[in-house]
Amino acid sequence: MAELLFELGTEELPARFVVPALDDLEKTFTEQCIALNIKHGAIRRFGTPRRLALLVADVAEKTDDVMKEVKGPSVKAAFDAAGAPTQPAIKFAESVKLPVDQLKKVSTPKGDYLMATVEEKGRRSFELLSDVLNLCTRKINFAKQMRWGDVEQSFGRPLQWIVALLGTEVVPVTYSDVKSGRVTRGHRFLSPAPITVEKPGDYEALLEKSNVIPDVAKRRALMIERIAAAAKKAGGTVLPDEALIDQVVNLVELPSPVVGTFEERHLDLPPEVLIQEMKSHQRYFSLTAADGKLLPKFIAVSNTPVKDEQLSIKGYERVLRARLTDGRFFFDEDRRMPLSAPERMEKLKRRSWIDKLGSMSEKTDRIRALGAFIAKAVGQTALIPTVERAATLCKADLNTGMVGEFPELQGVMGREYALHDKEPKEVALAIFEHYLPRGAGDGLPTQDAGAIIGLADRLDSLCGLFGIGKKPTGAKDDFALRRAAITFIRIVIARGYRFSLSAAIDESVSLLGAKLVDAKRKPTDPTVKDQLVEFFRGRLESTWKENHRADVVEAVLSAGFDDLACAQLRLEAISAYVSRPDFASLAATFKRVANIVEKQAKDITRDAVDPKKLTDEPEKALHAEVSKVSAAFTAAVQADDYAGAMAKVVPLKPFVDAFFDKVMVMAEDKALRENRVRLLMEIGGLFGTVADFSKIQAES
Amino acid sequence: MAMYFQDLLLTLQNHWAKLGCIVTQGYDLEVGAGTMAPATFLRALGPEPWNVAYIQPSRRPADGRFGENPNRLFQHHQFQVILKPAPKNVQELYLDSIKAFGIDPLEHDIRFVEDDWESPTLGASGLGWEVWCDGMEITQFTYFQKCGGYECKPVAAELTYGLERIAMYLQGVDSLYDIEWVKGVKYGEVFHENEVEMSKYALHESDPVQLEMLFKSYETECKRLIDLGLPLPAYDYALKCSHAFNLLDARGAISVTDRAGYIKRVRDNAALCAKGYLKVRQKLDWPLCKTKWTVGEQLPMHEGKPASDAWKTVSFEEKEEKKEAPRG
Repeated sequence: MAELLFELGTEELPARFVVPALDDLEKTFTEQCIALNIKHGAIRRFGTPRRLALLVADVAEKTDDVMKEVKGPSVKAAFDAAGAPTQPAIKFAESVKLPVDQLKKVSTPKGDYLMATVEEKGRRSFELLSDVLNLCTRKINFAKQMRWGDVEQSFGRPLQWIVALLGTEVVPVTYSDVKSGRVTRGHRFLSPAPITVEKPGDYEALLEKSNVIPDVAKRRALMIERIAAAAKKAGGTVLPDEALIDQVVNLVELPSPVVGTFEERHLDLPPEVLIQEMKSHQRYFSLTAADGKLLPKFIAVSNTPVKDEQLSIKGYERVLRARLTDGRFFFDEDRRMPLSAPERMEKLKRRSWIDKLGSMSEKTDRIRALGAFIAKAVGQTALIPTVERAATLCKADLNTGMVGEFPELQGVMGREYALHDKEPKEVALAIFEHYLPRGAGDGLPTQDAGAIIGLADRLDSLCGLFGIGKKPTGAKDDFALRRAAITFIRIVIARGYRFSLSAAIDESVSLLGAKLVDAKRKPTDPTVKDQLVEFFRGRLESTWKENHRADVVEAVLSAGFDDLACAQLRLEAISAYVSRPDFASLAATFKRVANIVEKQAKDITRDAVDPKKLTDEPEKALHAEVSKVSAAFTAAVQADDYAGAMAKVVPLKPFVDAFFDKVMVMAEDKALRENRVRLLMEIGGLFGTVADFSKIQAES
Repeated sequence: MAMYFQDLLLTLQNHWAKLGCIVTQGYDLEVGAGTMAPATFLRALGPEPWNVAYIQPSRRPADGRFGENPNRLFQHHQFQVILKPAPKNVQELYLDSIKAFGIDPLEHDIRFVEDDWESPTLGASGLGWEVWCDGMEITQFTYFQKCGGYECKPVAAELTYGLERIAMYLQGVDSLYDIEWVKGVKYGEVFHENEVEMSKYALHESDPVQLEMLFKSYETECKRLIDLGLPLPAYDYALKCSHAFNLLDARGAISVTDRAGYIKRVRDNAALCAKGYLKVRQKLDWPLCKTKWTVGEQLPMHEGKPASDAWKTVSFEEKEEKKEAPRG
């Protein structure tokens, strides 16, 4: 057994390529080893901007010998009438190096055949690895491939060297203009001399001695530790930013943070602007004081611990100074003209949103109308003026210099500029909050106006794009509509908004009006509403199934979800019952009711139960009980107390069971039969508004 | 010792000249970047080696700031290097060049940060980096992948140094107008008035009607010259077209909807020139291929055959239809 080291040395890879490339390398290597039967131990991965490497423990020297069965001629053809072997049998025996009498016979559907068990010798891993490692190299799927020099092959960036060592031996691997060897490189500037690797186990220590931390996790931990120490020394804390850490860790081989400062006067810029200026072009980390406010300081992570830190810090500061001057220029310029200025509104008209769906200005108009509709539907009539004003301004910042420079600041600048324009605070906040949540980890809107505009904006996008046939398919979701729908649901539920989803869709579609009509004045997609309702159902289903039983989810959805917040309450009520020990039998009883109702109801008029036609005791008792709980049940439902409503129907169970036990529902007499079914319909009608129990998996 | 603006230019010229590049002058027409000069755009095409260094004054009408912005110019200067095929040690050669003008990678944090480049008007694209010195971009480093819609085989490395920026850095000044060109003379004293007038012209005073007319006639002339088998003068008109477009754009005379159309027209002309140029070079039997002219380290092929062999079998006559619409 020996260790294997495989390192691909490159010119600086894009930071975002490193980890996916290591995933690909490891995956291909593992797959190939399984396919070729090469046994090996644990795999370690190393990656920096200049290298991708695998270190594999305990690679078997050779693959195992295997016994293989080889089929020969048919028995019929193998022996003559006298039972002596024929020419084909003798030839076969020779080919497998066995005497004829040691050949076995095997029965197949096509008859009996001769068969031999032969031993296939294992092969040396060393020989197999050449091809395996070459394939590993080829199969790295970089987001972008490039060619270099005069070679046909491509890679993420030009390949400079390959180290391939099994034990102390170089495994021959060739890719483009590079041949494998045992020479690697250290830090580009601090340790420029070539480094000879004698054996794989030396690799990590050799590199660390040469100013490279090749293990991504180790480098990341070291970087975080050093950044924190630098921040502490500077009297602050680093503003957490995992994405920035992930990026910066693969921009350096030896993380060397330095602290710089900027002029305090820039602190009057919105903090989001400062943070964005520091991170998006410069990849600097921001620092905050104990009170959470930004400090006029930053941390840049160098790849080289330079001779005189101050000299290079001056450089970092100079770049940021130019950027902040630019940022201040935009901030001042933008504020010269209010968000609501006719010129800005005019620009929105010229800003296309989506070709067929018109300009941003048209979208804004629809958001305003749909926002007012939703506000009214959820009983926030008093909020309509705020919603309308904020909706009018909600996209106006798209045409400001700052958002042009930093698209990530949309909404943030809208809020800042609205405040500067002396718009009401709620309007400014709503402009910002209508984009929330902008990503994982971001909060939901905290106020109604922003929440409502956010709903209107997303529903308009959903209806518009579905209407012109751009709904997501498979993995393709160019407009992030799945996320839009999920966010829509989250906001509705979090804020407890009660309204009809289908009515809102109708309103949105009617506002889109002519946009969804083709040249022949036919709707481009007449089934928009059905598709969208189905789409929402799918989102609810997948979200709910993360935390709830699949059959319960189905039962609740089947009972309707047009009122999303109500559906959520029903789900929670039923889910709370699931854990009860008697749930299974309770569910079985109600399921039986639901099944009969489903089967019989279509032929029976929805009349009330006629008490005079109830003949047997159990059905009389059941009817009396149903009449008793019915009003209380309805009252609980109306009060959104679905747990309470369930508690009201649970006591019916023994009566229902007795009814099924003793009474023949499918009586010969039509009148009796129908009356009994109506009694069940009445019960079904009660819990059917909460959930469809026929969908519950329960023992019957 | 102070590094004057012109010391920087001379240092770079000498560095690349010593390595075997020819040093030429920037092209004498209005271009937005060194890439657009024929010494890059056309020479990056085909199998022939090409190693060149030149200073290209580059005009970007939309960047005109009336001489008021310390970091932006209507016209700046690029130092452009093309190495084709890209040598194996091109990064090292580049690093030697910045050491030559006084940036020591042990004193400054030098990094190669992903930056891909695409020019829709040239049908050209490349992958590479922006080179950072203490967080500041000092050079665009690009491996050409495509030019005029054609795959680049072999691949040329393009190094574009932003001279004003580097000079500001070396001299420690915050405004490019304060750069000392030579002892006692500042950049502003040489170019400030040029910035004022050119910005006024480009942003306020240009005549969009006339520019549009010029655009059309340059476009027609380019096509006429292509048909006559004269791709080099044709390319001059493609460049004039591109500049007319930039002026119209800076004046705000092109609507968002029309913009893509203009860009396509410029690109189509550039692509025709690229094809015309390749056709002529092929007829001449790729003369520079016979020179064995290389700069830096070239490694033998280990696997497959040279990418540039692809040109041996290309017939531009046959592929006429296919190459009419190169991808941008």
